[in-house]
Amino acid sequence: MNAPKDLRDRIKSDLRPTRPLWPPAVRALVLIPLAVAIVLSVPGLRFFRSDMQAIGFLKAWGFSFGQALAGLVIIGVALRESIPGRGLSRGAAAATIAIGLAIPFALLAVTASAFNVGPEPGHALEEGIGCFRVSAISAIPALIAAAWLAARAFPMRPALAGALYGLGCGLIADAGLRLFCDYTVPTHVLLGHGGAIVGAMAVGAIVAKIIPRS
Amino acid sequence: MGSEAKKSEAELCAHMQAYLDGEIEAFDALYAAFAGRLRGYLLQQCRDASLADDLLQETFMQMHRSRRTYQPGRPVTPWVYAIARNVYLMKRRSAGRRARFEETLAADARSSDGSRDALDTIAEGDAVRRALRGVPADQRQALLMHHVEGWSFVEIAERLGIRVNAAKTRAFRGVRKMRERLK
Repeated sequence: MNAPKDLRDRIKSDLRPTRPLWPPAVRALVLIPLAVAIVLSVPGLRFFRSDMQAIGFLKAWGFSFGQALAGLVIIGVALRESIPGRGLSRGAAAATIAIGLAIPFALLAVTASAFNVGPEPGHALEEGIGCFRVSAISAIPALIAAAWLAARAFPMRPALAGALYGLGCGLIADAGLRLFCDYTVPTHVLLGHGGAIVGAMAVGAIVAKIIPRS
Repeated sequence: MGSEAKKSEAELCAHMQAYLDGEIEAFDALYAAFAGRLRGYLLQQCRDASLADDLLQETFMQMHRSRRTYQPGRPVTPWVYAIARNVYLMKRRSAGRRARFEETLAADARSSDGSRDALDTIAEGDAVRRALRGVPADQRQALLMHHVEGWSFVEIAERLGIRVNAAKTRAFRGVRKMRERLK
C-alpha cells in the first residue's frame, strides 16, 4: 500500500535527520544536580533539624539522598510512561504511586524513636502550613524541569505521567524537608509533608494536561 | 514471538532508524507495513470508513511529529499502535466537544417559551450566523476550527503559526462574544 501523495509530500517537505530522545532513565539522570541542590537548599537556606547529630549520618543524609534517588527513579518511570507504547500497566502505576507515597513515612518510622514530637500547642496549623509551603516551593524547579522533559516525549496519558513526575519531585523536596523538620506527630507529617507530596502530584497532573505535547 | 515476527520487527526497526535519519523511502516502507493493519484497527474503533482513512493519515502525521520519541532498537509496532490509539481518542474527544458546543449554541439560541416552529429555527440560525459575523475574524477562525471542525489547539496553532495558548484564547474569546451577542 502506497502513501497518498499529499501525505507523502507533507512528510517529505518536513523530513530531516532527527536525533531520538535519550532513554527515560538517562533523561532522569539529568535532574541529579537539581535534586542535590534542592535537598541541600531546603535546610541550608534555613536550618538543620535539631537532632541531626542524634539520628546519625545514615538516617539523616543517607535516607534523604535515598529518598531523593527514589524520586528520580519515579521521574524516570514518568518519562518512560510519556513514551508511546511504553505506558505502565494499571497495577504498575498504582504500585509506583503507593510505594512512592509510603517512602517518607517508612523512613520516618525507621528514623523516629517516638511519634510525639510536634509543634507547640496552638501552632500546629501554622507549622503545618510552613512545612507544606517550604516543600511545595522547593518542588517547583524540579517540576518545571520534569514537565519539560516529559512534554518533549508524547505522553498518551498526560495526567498519569504528570502525577508520577509530580510524586517524584515531591519526594525530592521532602528529602530536603526531612533534614529541616524534626516533628514526628502523625498529623503534622501526614498533612504538612504528605500533603505537599500529594499537592505536587496534583500540580504535575494538571500541568501535564495543560502543556502542549511535542 | 516467532522468528518471522522477530525478523519483521527487526526490519521495521531498521526502517524506523532510516526514517529518523531522514530517508523518505523508509517512510514509504513503514507506510506499506502499517497502513493496512492500522486502518483495520482504526475502523474497528470508529466504525466509519472515511473517518478511519482520515485517522490513518493523522496517525502517520503524528508519527512524523513524534518520531524522536521512538527509542532505537525497541519494537516499532507498540509505538505505532499507541500513537494510533491516541489519535483516535483525541478525535473522539474533539467530536464530543463539538457536539456539546453545538448543543450549547442551540440552547443559547432557544427562546424561553420553548415553542419552536420552522420560522423560529430559521431565525435562530440567522441569529447564530449574525452573532458569528460579529466575532473578530481571528477569534472566529479559531472558534470554528476548534468547536466546529474539531481541530485540537495544537493543530490550530501549527496551522495558523501562533502559540497554543493564543489559539485557546482566541477560541475562548470568540465563544464568549457569541454568547453575549446571542443573549
